Formats: sequence, structure tokens, C-alpha cells
Amino acid sequence: MRNDDFDRILSKEQEIIPSSGFVSSVMNAVQREAAAPPVIPFPWKRALPGLAAAGLAMAGIFVAGVMLFVERSGAQQAPATLSSAFASVFEVWKTVGASWIALALALSFASVKVSMRFASGKK
Amino acid sequence: MSAAEDRAAVDKVLAGDTSAFEHVVRRWQRPLVNLAYRFCRDRGRAEEMAQEAFLRAYRSLARWRREAAFSTWLFALATNLYCSELRRIPVTTVGLDSIEPRDSRPIDGALADEDRDRAVRRAVFTLPQKYREALILFYFHDMDIPSAAHSLALPEGTVKARLSRGREMLRSKLSHRLIAPVLRKEA
Repeated sequence: MRNDDFDRILSKEQEIIPSSGFVSSVMNAVQREAAAPPVIPFPWKRALPGLAAAGLAMAGIFVAGVMLFVERSGAQQAPATLSSAFASVFEVWKTVGASWIALALALSFASVKVSMRFASGKK
Repeated sequence: MSAAEDRAAVDKVLAGDTSAFEHVVRRWQRPLVNLAYRFCRDRGRAEEMAQEAFLRAYRSLARWRREAAFSTWLFALATNLYCSELRRIPVTTVGLDSIEPRDSRPIDGALADEDRDRAVRRAVFTLPQKYREALILFYFHDMDIPSAAHSLALPEGTVKARLSRGREMLRSKLSHRLIAPVLRKEA
């Protein structure tokens, strides 16, 4: 088949006519939308200092973790195997209480998502 | 209704006259429903998708930058919505081999053409989405690549490449099927 054949076949598509109630159905939806109270935007300005503080705290924890890791691996010589490397990472993870931090972050994220979902009116 | 009337209607809506949006809906309902129909081949779903497109247009009217025609903006918005809607709930496609000719009598003239046309249209729906979208938009816009590119928010070169690849894939999908009647006749 040549391109001309495709052009001829695919250009002659049958046209459909929207149903008679289409315009009124759209306008009803538009009127409902217009009558609804505006969606409350997320208060980024207010949240920004908190987010910045959280970001700094995360960066601090990360740096502290890395320093601790370097310190320990320097004291115990370089890890000989992959499993011992994992073990020392896990040790640092436990020391800085990273599991609790991760849990707290996950809970905060979930609560923000749920609040935003309620605020935007989605079910 | 002209482009100037589109602008006037939009201005009224932005000034708070919601009912002025009806002019926009009346003018563009047919193209938007037909575009949706080409994407999903289901009349009911096409109307639902077009309604959602109008609603989304209403919500974002203030974001229409006047340097582009209202239709260009509206088609791009609708295309974006239709594509993501079909990614969310894809159209159930029928494999080409499961499409039987409508009539088992020897194929000739008009009937053969009709079957071939039907097969070609079905084959478009078996293409990967990016090629399908390019083909649908290209033929919807009367084979105008810049318009298709605007609607898809892609560079013209990308649309051309997708069209070419899409046609190539169509050709290979349809080759055995479109040769079959000839072979039957020869036998």
C-alpha cells in the first residue's frame, strides 16, 4: 500500500453528530463548576520555611551519617566484602535512627497527600 | 462564529458571564466530539471526553495566550486530555486476524474496498500509542502537519517521523491481509 492509499482511506472518516443534549449537559457541568467555591490552593508561602527547615535537617542528618560511616570504616579498615560494607551501612542507619526518620517522613507525606485530596474535592 | 467572536465570548466568560461559554460549546462541539471519537471509536465515551475537555477549557480560559488561535489552544488542550484519558483506560482493540470479511462470497469491487478500508482503520488502533496519536491528528487536521504538531505539542519533525514510522508499521501489519483476496482469486 502506498501513502496515497492510506491518505485516501484515513481521510474519509465518517463524521458523528453530537447528541441533542450535549450542549446543555456541558453547560450544566460548567454552571456547577462556576457555582462551586474555588479550590483552596496549597499554602506554599507558609509551608516554605518548614520545608526549608526539613530539607536542612535532612541534609544535616545525611552529612552526619556519612561522617560516621567514614569514621567507622576508617577505624575498622576498608570493608573487605560487600556484605560487611552493607553491615556497616546498616550500623550507621541504626545509629542515626534513620528508620524513625523515614517513618516520620512517610507519615507526613501521606497526611499532606490526604489533606490535598480533601481540599481539591477528589474522592 | 469567527475567531473574533471566539475572543469576545471568552472575554465575556472571563468577565463573569458563564452563559457566554455556550457559544464556545456550540461552535466547537462537533470537532471536539469527532476528535474524541477518532481516538476511542465509542460515541458515548467520545461525548464524555469532549465534555471533560470543555470543562477543562472553561477552567483554564485565563491561560489562553491570545497569540495563538483559540482553536489551536482548544485542540491542544483536548488532545492532551484525550491522550491521557486513553492511557488511563485504553481502547479495547480487536486483533486484525479476528476481523472477518463481512461477506463470505467472492470479494469484488466495492465490498473488497470496504473491507480493506475497515481493516486499515482497525490496524491504526493496533499501533503503539505515539504512532496512533500522530496518525489520528494528522488526518483529523486534513493532513496538516503543523496543526497536528501543535495539537500534540511536538516538533513538526517528530510528527513527520512518527507518521512515516506509523505508516510503515501499518503496511507491514496489513501486507498479508491485503494480499489474501488476490491469492484466493488466483487459486
